[in-house]
Amino acid sequence: MRNADHAGPKARHFPLRIALLSTLTVAAITVISAVPAQASQLATEVADTAGGTETNLLLQNLLNGITFGLLLALASVGLSLIYATTGLSNFAHGEQVTFGAAAAFAAVTAGAPILLAAVFAVLAGGASGWLQDTVLWSQLRKRRIAPMQQMIVSIGLALAAVNLLQIWMGAQRVRLSTSIEVRYEFGPVSIGPQTMISMAVCIVALGAVGFFLQRTRLGRATRAVSDNPALASATGISVNRVIRIVWIMSGSLAALGGVLLALYENTSDFSAGARILLLMFAAVTLGGLGHPFGALVGSLVVGIVAEVSTVFLPTPDLKYAIVMGMLILTLLVRPQGLLGRKERVG
Amino acid sequence: MTDPQTIISADHLIAGYLPGVDILNGCSMDVKEGELIGVIGPNGAGKSTFLKALFGLVPVREGKVQLRGEDITNLKADKLVQRGIGFVPQTENVFPTLSIEENLEMGAYQAPKTYKAQRAKMYDLFPVLGKRRNQQAGSLSGGERQMVAMARALMMDPSVLLLDEPSAGLSPDRQDETFVRTRDINRTGVTVIMVEQNARRCLQICDRGYVLDQGTSAYTATGQELLADPKVIELYLGTLGADKDDEDDAGAVVAPDATTEKSE
Repeated sequence: MRNADHAGPKARHFPLRIALLSTLTVAAITVISAVPAQASQLATEVADTAGGTETNLLLQNLLNGITFGLLLALASVGLSLIYATTGLSNFAHGEQVTFGAAAAFAAVTAGAPILLAAVFAVLAGGASGWLQDTVLWSQLRKRRIAPMQQMIVSIGLALAAVNLLQIWMGAQRVRLSTSIEVRYEFGPVSIGPQTMISMAVCIVALGAVGFFLQRTRLGRATRAVSDNPALASATGISVNRVIRIVWIMSGSLAALGGVLLALYENTSDFSAGARILLLMFAAVTLGGLGHPFGALVGSLVVGIVAEVSTVFLPTPDLKYAIVMGMLILTLLVRPQGLLGRKERVG
Repeated sequence: MTDPQTIISADHLIAGYLPGVDILNGCSMDVKEGELIGVIGPNGAGKSTFLKALFGLVPVREGKVQLRGEDITNLKADKLVQRGIGFVPQTENVFPTLSIEENLEMGAYQAPKTYKAQRAKMYDLFPVLGKRRNQQAGSLSGGERQMVAMARALMMDPSVLLLDEPSAGLSPDRQDETFVRTRDINRTGVTVIMVEQNARRCLQICDRGYVLDQGTSAYTATGQELLADPKVIELYLGTLGADKDDEDDAGAVVAPDATTEKSE
């Protein structure tokens, strides 16, 4: 009976939720059945080369969206954790993603196999997170610099980092793997092995983050610090140590995201991370700022909406505009984001 | 040398949040092992600041805080928790997105080995928390949060517990419950220093009270003595409770007092 006092509001929302769900389901069925017909001319061309099976453009884009969403989630989960524990909107997080790709590229150039290069990138990413927090962010926190000022610092850092990355990587596009991508057919969709491995790595890494936050003592302490750093400190949690670990994790995950993004797009360059920075912010805000799983849910929604919208849009260039429009609409209806909770007051 | 029985002593503390603005102007206190101390005073006297200065949350510029004769001035909160001091803030005293059980686990963060045993003790002391262990603390009422906060502070089995206005914002019967519970906790051997707005109720249960005024400890005496002190009555307790003409108001103040006397 512990939820007895919540039964009232829940019961009131129930019909609304059912109505919303049924509308969405009907809309989804209509769209899925309508699209292959509409896009059949396009699709047939693809299907011809693939040997008979008709590719469903909508399902294919849905799959692409999920893949991109998972990559985005991996890249942005650190952004979300840093915001949650320190209040900082880190505009240099995009460069953290590029840094992963750059480190992996450096390793590959030096002759390392791609797997080893990815491990190196993750370690280097973690080290960069540790270094940044040690020499910069923890010092700013100690001097009680407000999050707004810290954000401006992060913008400066982003500008400096993107230039340093350009010097390091050069201005040209780079590739981590030169193998020719084969694609496997699965009914109406096709997928390459690189993408499949990327998805699997994303799912394992995100699962590990979830396990860390929910099932380990340090993870629960991280959530406690996100809830209230002052109270966490008064409770005996070493807040600075928790934040240091968050920075290391965040750097590693962003680097891994950068490597996988480079494999997924089959190319990378010094501004690869900066290009997805706003999408990461959109995903994290959409999911619920500071919520541990907000980044995951928000990223999946952003990825799917962006990719699926290209089926209907006159030009794919508009897909991120659609994402931002959806973000605004969502926040109008649900200011705390999809997973964010309104807290009881009093 | 301090009295061997003295557990906490504060010696002429000068402290404040901003440079140049002192809230405490030479505040002193000596607390003996096992005492229940009430700190009262008008708004702005520095009661909460004093408690925070003891717990290292407000920088102490001059003076000394000692725990069993050891200097603990300006030590970080996590170090003080390690040494056996627990602190319950007045507001925002639970982790809202964590469950009750997770809140308690955080209380024992520095001593994970004792967590399970301490948790069982807390569920004995606050049975309602045990029944609702998986509920998110953010969905609890003020009184329930106060219980979670106290239980969390007790998870490290502290020798000193600092309470910042535990009765603030609670209904009169919940306030009584909180005072009775504080007394119970104190009787298990925990030294308690509580800051209270509700001076009358606080002085009724405490062994000794300190009256703070303008950042200095004006004077100290036993709770009963302060309750009878005409100056304290005039300045901090008000004469409402003694006003026999206004029956409604007198009733409102006297009634809860009567219940506690029964329960004690």
